[in-house]
Amino acid sequence: MFGEKVIELIKEAERNPDTMDPFNDEKLRQILEEMQLLFKMNMNDANATSENRSLWTTVQVRHAALERNKRCLLAYLYSRMNKIKTLRWEFGSVLPPDIRELLSDEEYQWFSKYSTNLATYMRSLGQDIGYSGIDLTENLKPPKSLFIEVLCVVDYGKLELEDGDVIMLKKNSRHFLPTSECQTLIRQGVLKQIT
Amino acid sequence: MDPYEIEFIGENRLVSVIPNFTYDKIYLICGEFGPFRAGLPMNVPLWLAVMLKQKQKCRIVPPDWMDIDALETIKEAEKTSRFFTKMPNEHYMVEAKLILGAAAEDIPRAGEIKTIIKDIWDIRMSKLRTSMDTLMKSGGSYGRLDHLTMMEINSVKPLLPSAMDDLLRIQSMAKKTIQPSLNTSSFSQSGSSQNI
Amino acid sequence: MDFNDQIESSGDEEEITAEAVLKTLYNAWQNERLSPEILPHCNEMVECMLGQIQHMERNINKLPKTDLRASIHKMELSRIKYIICNYLRARLCKIEKHCIPIINEERQRIESGTNYLTPSEYKYAQEYLLNMEGHFKSVVLDKVPGNMQTFEMNKMAIYPNLQSHVFLKANETVNGVVLDLPGEQDEEIDLEEGSQHILLYKPVADLVKSGKVQLI
Repeated sequence: MFGEKVIELIKEAERNPDTMDPFNDEKLRQILEEMQLLFKMNMNDANATSENRSLWTTVQVRHAALERNKRCLLAYLYSRMNKIKTLRWEFGSVLPPDIRELLSDEEYQWFSKYSTNLATYMRSLGQDIGYSGIDLTENLKPPKSLFIEVLCVVDYGKLELEDGDVIMLKKNSRHFLPTSECQTLIRQGVLKQIT
Repeated sequence: MDPYEIEFIGENRLVSVIPNFTYDKIYLICGEFGPFRAGLPMNVPLWLAVMLKQKQKCRIVPPDWMDIDALETIKEAEKTSRFFTKMPNEHYMVEAKLILGAAAEDIPRAGEIKTIIKDIWDIRMSKLRTSMDTLMKSGGSYGRLDHLTMMEINSVKPLLPSAMDDLLRIQSMAKKTIQPSLNTSSFSQSGSSQNI
Repeated sequence: MDFNDQIESSGDEEEITAEAVLKTLYNAWQNERLSPEILPHCNEMVECMLGQIQHMERNINKLPKTDLRASIHKMELSRIKYIICNYLRARLCKIEKHCIPIINEERQRIESGTNYLTPSEYKYAQEYLLNMEGHFKSVVLDKVPGNMQTFEMNKMAIYPNLQSHVFLKANETVNGVVLDLPGEQDEEIDLEEGSQHILLYKPVADLVKSGKVQLI
């Protein structure tokens, strides 16, 4: 039935708000083909309808299917576009390769333009006073001087904190440290957060 | 809004601390504070108080309202009143969470205080749920909610406003005659768009 | 606006303190987060804060790293940066979502000098729309049958829902606000100073923009 394939595309796009499937080139191609076919059939029948009014409904149905396909295709693109936008805010202007794979070439081009547009805007902030611009993609969470308890899992050695204190990170030692200063070490596996 | 954003706003409130160090006045963008004299109480924003406490540079002085008797009075008033009573300040929950979280040892009977504050919150939230129910059932498009704090109001978002939005939409549609129409609406996203 | 004691009046101009600007920025941020439509910009205040940040960062660099004051100032700066970023980002989100109506309305507002967007934001909006249009064209529109290839602005437009309900607090007493309720009769209410309400955004939009009420 006309318009069915395009619904599958939409379902794909909307299935999971947090993830994105790879761009479905194949389905897109099929739907575009379907549209060309519908259009051709309509062109033929449209010429005939001036004599044969019974074809008028058929033409209308096909036309509705064409409009629907167009609308849904754009909705598919738009839905993905919104997700791609959040990628810029999350990953910055360079996408990890496994994410980059999910985008079509055109989508990646759009991503680059979006990224450039955003960078231009951010640079313009404070330009008049010679301020180097503020990165809106950082500073997304309210700053907290949170301290967390961590366990040191390897013999790391000395850690100098921002306020000048020096901590000795020995294997199995526990510490109460500012969150911001542990993050890298936690990511590296040196420290483990004790919740 | 997210709760942590409201907490962020609440952190600007002034609270009293007793520093254990001595410093001249500091000139922050949000105001001047100090001078800091070890052992003498002074006012600083809540975010600064928490930071100093975590660095073990001060004691936090409990606000006047963070006292068992004062809270019992507030609780009674809230229980007996049909409406929402005025809370000690706009951000009582934020103050409670942060002060009791970072400086419980500076607050006498902190455990009991936590409990009473939670009770007060529960009473108010229960009233709020009932009010919402009444508001919706009366076909409401308008309500007055004096003395509710930001955190409390935020807890019913997006439920209450979007329910009222939907109700309005239903009521408006019920009045319109149904027309056969070309669907000219755009990419509506969860009903947040409106064709003008 | 809140003025503290240290204002100098020099002739017609009153100097507004950084503290007051920050307070106003907090309110502007709150309103922008909670309103369904884009509000008039507060660029002077943002620039003022950026200037303060720049100035303060220079001062912090002169202090020894371990100085407690450095940590305190740094913390305050990250708080102010957060507010600025959150505020500007909220605006960008709206500009992106409602780019077509915003650009159309802004065109008219620019002519009368009442623009809501900063020049940079307006440029951003135009570029964003151009990129979106280009993308749709290259992937879909150029490949569909002949007479369907136009990018139909009016169909693509997403309008902000001014018929949504918001919570607000009255900063001053406002009398005679007309609520257009779904019933036949229009009710008129008074907003006493300090009172809080939930109601439709549209009738109070101007009050939000003029600062008479605050969205909460």
